[in-house]
Amino acid sequence: MRRYFGRKFLIYGLTFFLAVTVDWLIPRFMPGDPISNILSRSLLNAEGAQQMYDYYERVFGLDLPVWQQYLNFWGSLLHGDLGISAYLFPQPVTRVIWRAVPYDAFLLLPSILLSWWAGNKFGAYAARTKRLDNTILPIGYILTATPYMWLGILLAWIFGIVLGIFPIAGAYSYSMQPHLSWLFIKDVILHWFLPFASLFLVGFGGWAIGMRNMIIYELEADYSHYLEALGAPRSLIRKYAFRNAILPQLTGLALQLGVIVAGALVTEVVFSYPGIGYLLLSAIQNQDYFLIQGCFLFIIIGILIANFAIDIAYVIVDPRTRMGMLGDSS
Amino acid sequence: MIERLRNNEFLFFAFRNKRLRVGLFIVLFFLALTLVGPLLAKYDPSEYAAYGSHPPSAEYWFGTTTFGQDVFSQFVLGLRATFLVGMIGGGLGTLIGVVVGFTAGYNGGIIDEVLNILTNIVLVIPTLAILLIIAAYLNVRGIVAESIFIGCTAWPWAARAIRAQTFSLRTREFVDLSKLSGMKSGKIIFTEIAPNMMSYLVMTFILQFGGAILNAATLDFIGLGPTSTISLGLMMQYSVLWGALQLGQWWWFMPPGIAITAIVGAMYIMNVGLDEVFNPKLREM
Amino acid sequence: MKRSIFVISILVILSMLLAACGQATEAPAEPVAPAEEPAEPGEEMAEPAAAEVVYDRSETLYVSGAAWGPPSTWNPFQPGSLANTTGTLGFVYETLFDYDPMSGTMTPWLAESGAWVDDNTYAVTLRDGLTWSDGEPLTATDIAFTFELAQQYTAMWFAPMWDYLTSVTVIDDLNLEFAFVDPLYQEWENNLYNIPIVPEHLWADRTEEEITVGANENPVGSGAYLYETHSEDRNVWLRNENWWGIPVFGAPAPRRIVDIRTSSNNVALGMVLKGELDLSNNFLPGVAELANQGYVDTYFAGAPYMLSANTAVLFLNTTKSPMDDAAFRRALAFAINVDDIVNVAYANLVAAASPTGLLPNLDTFIDHDLVAEIGWTYDPAEAAAILTEAGYVMGDDGFFNAPDGSDIALEVTCPFGWTDWMEAINVIASSAQAAGINIQAVTPDYGAWNDALQGGTFDMTLNNWAALSNTPWTLYNLLFRHPIQDVIQSGNFGRYDNAAVFDLVDALATVQSTDVAGMQAACSEIQRVLLTDVPMIPLWYNGLWAQFSSAVWTNWPMDGSASPTLPTTWSGYWQLGGLNTLINLEPVVAE
Repeated sequence: MRRYFGRKFLIYGLTFFLAVTVDWLIPRFMPGDPISNILSRSLLNAEGAQQMYDYYERVFGLDLPVWQQYLNFWGSLLHGDLGISAYLFPQPVTRVIWRAVPYDAFLLLPSILLSWWAGNKFGAYAARTKRLDNTILPIGYILTATPYMWLGILLAWIFGIVLGIFPIAGAYSYSMQPHLSWLFIKDVILHWFLPFASLFLVGFGGWAIGMRNMIIYELEADYSHYLEALGAPRSLIRKYAFRNAILPQLTGLALQLGVIVAGALVTEVVFSYPGIGYLLLSAIQNQDYFLIQGCFLFIIIGILIANFAIDIAYVIVDPRTRMGMLGDSS
Repeated sequence: MIERLRNNEFLFFAFRNKRLRVGLFIVLFFLALTLVGPLLAKYDPSEYAAYGSHPPSAEYWFGTTTFGQDVFSQFVLGLRATFLVGMIGGGLGTLIGVVVGFTAGYNGGIIDEVLNILTNIVLVIPTLAILLIIAAYLNVRGIVAESIFIGCTAWPWAARAIRAQTFSLRTREFVDLSKLSGMKSGKIIFTEIAPNMMSYLVMTFILQFGGAILNAATLDFIGLGPTSTISLGLMMQYSVLWGALQLGQWWWFMPPGIAITAIVGAMYIMNVGLDEVFNPKLREM
Repeated sequence: MKRSIFVISILVILSMLLAACGQATEAPAEPVAPAEEPAEPGEEMAEPAAAEVVYDRSETLYVSGAAWGPPSTWNPFQPGSLANTTGTLGFVYETLFDYDPMSGTMTPWLAESGAWVDDNTYAVTLRDGLTWSDGEPLTATDIAFTFELAQQYTAMWFAPMWDYLTSVTVIDDLNLEFAFVDPLYQEWENNLYNIPIVPEHLWADRTEEEITVGANENPVGSGAYLYETHSEDRNVWLRNENWWGIPVFGAPAPRRIVDIRTSSNNVALGMVLKGELDLSNNFLPGVAELANQGYVDTYFAGAPYMLSANTAVLFLNTTKSPMDDAAFRRALAFAINVDDIVNVAYANLVAAASPTGLLPNLDTFIDHDLVAEIGWTYDPAEAAAILTEAGYVMGDDGFFNAPDGSDIALEVTCPFGWTDWMEAINVIASSAQAAGINIQAVTPDYGAWNDALQGGTFDMTLNNWAALSNTPWTLYNLLFRHPIQDVIQSGNFGRYDNAAVFDLVDALATVQSTDVAGMQAACSEIQRVLLTDVPMIPLWYNGLWAQFSSAVWTNWPMDGSASPTLPTTWSGYWQLGGLNTLINLEPVVAE
């Protein structure tokens, strides 16, 4: 057990360290100067502009030597301070990101988990009969091959504008302030539904296909034939096959988390949903070093935590891993 | 002798396989459109052929954009960009993935550990975020540059799969036999292992191809695509920015999305079909 | 299987709870800088009703197109950042005067009157009964305090004014005098409707940092609206029921204003189609069609549908060859098909600009005779003639080569993603090519484009900061900004170095606004230089994008209305009549 988790910790720790370093490095080599951007619209005279430039440089710590900036970065990171946003000056980055995190969590977690669960279930159905296979599978292909934004916009168009059932922008109605009431909760869910649906549908397709392939593979394995020869009912065989097939899907889930950021970002742009993905895009377009770093960091930390959670889930679900922990590689 | 039998057997099943046929047909159709289309297109994609937006007609097969540009001409040029990204991006991703995965799987030990860590790191880092940042470095971007980024960030999937496969193959008896008989490593790889991996390589390439196209479409859509040419993703972006659907100009918005869905979907179908061809176990279904 | 369903549903519920917790911390923001403490509740403050969390549709105005990012600062001295809290200057903080571009007059606002007592003294009398939203009276002390902030801190944008302003004297609660030495009359008047007045009793103890760059959350001002709340994609303003202006100008009709920020223009378009917006100040594609079909109304019923807001100018980098040659520049002016930009790129939503660059409201200062004499129109033949006469030779590739034989290959740029400009530069490039000048349209990312703009490394590019103004001086000060520095942030991006025209612009600044003839003469001389030397090419007037729906609010200003005002929510435009539009609005009476 200790070795298993020890190795995991090592890998995650190393990944975290490298990822943070890369995170710190990349925005700094971007062309352009964020301070000039801030100042560009102030129409200050030369002296005023220079004074403001120096001030901003101090505030952002850009006047220090590079290695010191790096160390300061780690220092503040451990204090939970990610600096001040340039694009949204003078809001601190942590505050800006923290406001966006709930929206992302609200959007991503249900869509990932539900699409994973539903996709696996339907994939397993598809492996039962040829007829189901021929209906569910093509749907799966089409869904997984659809670009997120195209689907999102179509949904927004059909259900939002033509049928007028759902709103197409924002996280909650512009006529309300957040408060606890059924009206508000209903409103939040209405706003959430279309972005969620577009993420869910595309994910669903992918999982369904994957699971279907895995189940078929398992159904053709020796142990399935053996069970069949013994006269076990088909449902029992399928149950065992499902258990075995779920394992690679778990791994796939972990891998999917990195990819889902892409889908969420695009979906957020399409629906003006104020999550981290959209924040990251705005930060890049406005060359805000600190905000870029902050968003990136959050995404990476989120993914690492999720990966870790899945590793734990793996241990729970897969007896071989539990046994294997006593032995060698996982 | 064994080789020829194997080829025949594969081809036999390949042509019988419905999924493979359907997928291949769709992909070849679009490929043909890419090659023949520009000859049929009457206008330059950015030329203002008509005033304003027109629905599909005999003159403008896919209608015109809000500026009067011929959608069909843009479409076929965009298809070309899409295939290019798929080939280069997917190819590069497969190449790196194969090299990394194979080296890790075949050699094992410390090399495997290191490559594994590398793969894990690249897997964890959200590729789109990196792509966004890198794409923002360059002032002017072309299709090739975009494909290279995508290839460089999509390889971990392939690497993992190849590595797993290599592991399992490496421990098979025929490799041990070859080693015993004194064959050199390189020869073992090329003559014994590679043919068994062929199927895997082809399928990996297909998946990378499809993935690259989707990635490119996403990048284009958020404004980090090529700045000097047209692609399907860019068509989608423009049509959305100019409110095509809201203004009833569906002919500008639908074709790029349908094309991408069709091509990538066909690729995935082909993949499943190939899986069945190469893995007799799956042929039951 | 059952276990996994259980686990998953727990996770789903947890994530929703997490989201809910996050959102519950939205409503009033916690102050980072010290919050505005009301001194003493002298009079009753207008507080939002505690239970009002759902807004009544008939009392609320939904607008969009002004904010482009999450609101982050309510500091009225940061004009750039105010793009996202557009009501800070105008709703919360007010100015001494307003300017009405439709009639071309300065309207006293906080001031009751202001006049030049002599050449060097300006006297202001404030209205009686002005109050801050916390109940304190607004007196001349506040005015003096605000102006003196720029004397103390050079980082205030109007600090350069103290080069010629020597002192501000408070005479009594309602009167004060400004003493000058060689005043720039034009700049002074322009500043009168741009400098927000802040309360001395709250700002006197602030540090320099707080004043110049602080966020100033929960702002206290004198204006018609109060800050109520905000979130990533909206600002909510609540009407100030104790506003001093109600007996003077009338109360603005909407009780609440929700200023919505959409991620892009097409989302706003969707909202307009769904009837969720009352006023949209976005550039909406196809709005001409929508107006014709009756979805929205616009100021003009036909082309150009929109009023003009600013001039789009093509800056030519005069430090690079061949743009250092006046003949080349002039030829280029004849080679650009502005009609195509107007008709194709903008589908008739804009109008072609006067070659002098001045907006229609300043038409008196356009020397039409001069324009007729040496102005330009789209004439590729003329362009070719000018080039040939200047020694340019047509090459085999159909493009002109420089007199010294070198190739000409130039790039016209705009930021990638600014779709209307991208189409405009496509037209510029293609019409130039058709006339024999090799120009390609290139669209780098905003950051790179901005760097090139400020660093002077571009070939030619667009800029439209010359906005509606009370004086032609602001336009020419932008075009011919001087002195030329390494990094230029506020005008003359093409680095046109001409001491004579700089002197002319400076001279214009010193002409009294009552001396119309004097201003015309000064402008005429500047325009002569502009039309002969052509250091930059004014191309078209960008529209004051405004689409409105009369479903809930009516009596929007339209061409032909009794006294039309600007239908806009853009930052910096409230003092140009935007607030008056709100005062004139009427709710649609339910039948």
